[in-house]
Amino acid sequence: MTLGSTTIKGNLRPKFTKEEAAFIKQELAEQIDRYKKIVAEQEALTPQREKWVKEFLERIQSRGFHVHAGLKRVIPKNEVRPRDGRPLQVIF
Amino acid sequence: MPRPHIEPFVDRDVGFKKLGLPGFRKGIQYKMLSMDKENGSCTMTVQYDAGFKQPPGFSYSEMELFIMEGHIMIGGKKCEKGTYIFAPAGTSLPAFSTSEGALGLVFYNFGPPSFQESDSDHQNADKSQQRKMISSYDGLDWQVPTLFPQTAPGCLLKILHLDPKTFGMTFLYCMVPGFWQDNISYHDVAEEAYHIWGTSWMMQFGDLPTGGYFYRPAYINHGCFKSDLGILAIGRTDGDLHNYFHHDPFSSPEENHHRAAAKLARMKPALYQWILTNEHNHLPHDFEFPDDTYSTEGYDSGIHMHDDGTSHAHKASGAHSHLNTPKISKKKSKK
Repeated sequence: MTLGSTTIKGNLRPKFTKEEAAFIKQELAEQIDRYKKIVAEQEALTPQREKWVKEFLERIQSRGFHVHAGLKRVIPKNEVRPRDGRPLQVIF
Repeated sequence: MPRPHIEPFVDRDVGFKKLGLPGFRKGIQYKMLSMDKENGSCTMTVQYDAGFKQPPGFSYSEMELFIMEGHIMIGGKKCEKGTYIFAPAGTSLPAFSTSEGALGLVFYNFGPPSFQESDSDHQNADKSQQRKMISSYDGLDWQVPTLFPQTAPGCLLKILHLDPKTFGMTFLYCMVPGFWQDNISYHDVAEEAYHIWGTSWMMQFGDLPTGGYFYRPAYINHGCFKSDLGILAIGRTDGDLHNYFHHDPFSSPEENHHRAAAKLARMKPALYQWILTNEHNHLPHDFEFPDDTYSTEGYDSGIHMHDDGTSHAHKASGAHSHLNTPKISKKKSKK
């Protein structure tokens, strides 16, 4: 499994055919559009996400944080890292 | 970054396109889920039309197929939904047909989709792994993940393929109804998944329904998680999957990367110290796979900080020694 492969190693045809190159070019152009659409959709979700994050931080200080399998630990307030103006970016 | 962060993408929102690449027979339609911009490797939802037939042949790239709906006859064997097929690059698959049509998920791992008609393997076919065909729904049992730390109870796995070198894996996973996991996770590896059925929720991205897909590069936060009614999904990683759990929703991928390195220093101090105290950029050697070569080429994020507070970045060509800088070495020398 080679999701992160950055070379053509592993492809027995060492160079792209003309048709393959055109196919890749077209698909990558569409992928850029798809990515932009996702970024916009996720940006629109920000107010809801802020609420979810607030609820999460409350839950781990009351009900607990999943440390391993069913093992949970209640996180004391002083272990919750302050936000300090950091953005809530989710798509990179 | 070979593939961008695609999350979430629901393939039911887009239509199928005809696959017209030379070599393929008519009757294949696809939806592109993600593609590597450098080598063209990709993940696609694929619809085989009723009556589709394909002679024996191979792909120039390693290929995986998971049948989600319908059935396919492969070499006279009826492959029902839930069948997983792994074909190393250049390995010929028998004749392939479907009378009523089928829906699958296809992964081309090293290059763009390709098909070469042939009843024998390519002369340079990858012989390091074997072709496999698994009936995953009725031929494999669900197992509790053996990852440490482990996901919350109610998330189960069926391992379909494990790369012997990288421990990258392809797996089915399910969440039982009412599943809930209150932590944030990230990994050292890229991860992708497709929802065969059901909806799950993540704090960052919201709902991922049936037909939902993501490709997520390493070190990106995801979770907490829940699923009200349960899900069935297929997932993949490109290396050994370790769950880094934490509870800072605002940490960046760079911070997560640093934290992972710090954990390595704590969890595998001997390995960490060995890497640091040898010449920078020396390449490892594995007696088990002596012909493999390892390169730092392409890794341009060599930003690191020295004990004196200075930092810099360098690529593979910038080899130099940091013999005096690792904190572990200094602490030991002070004792």
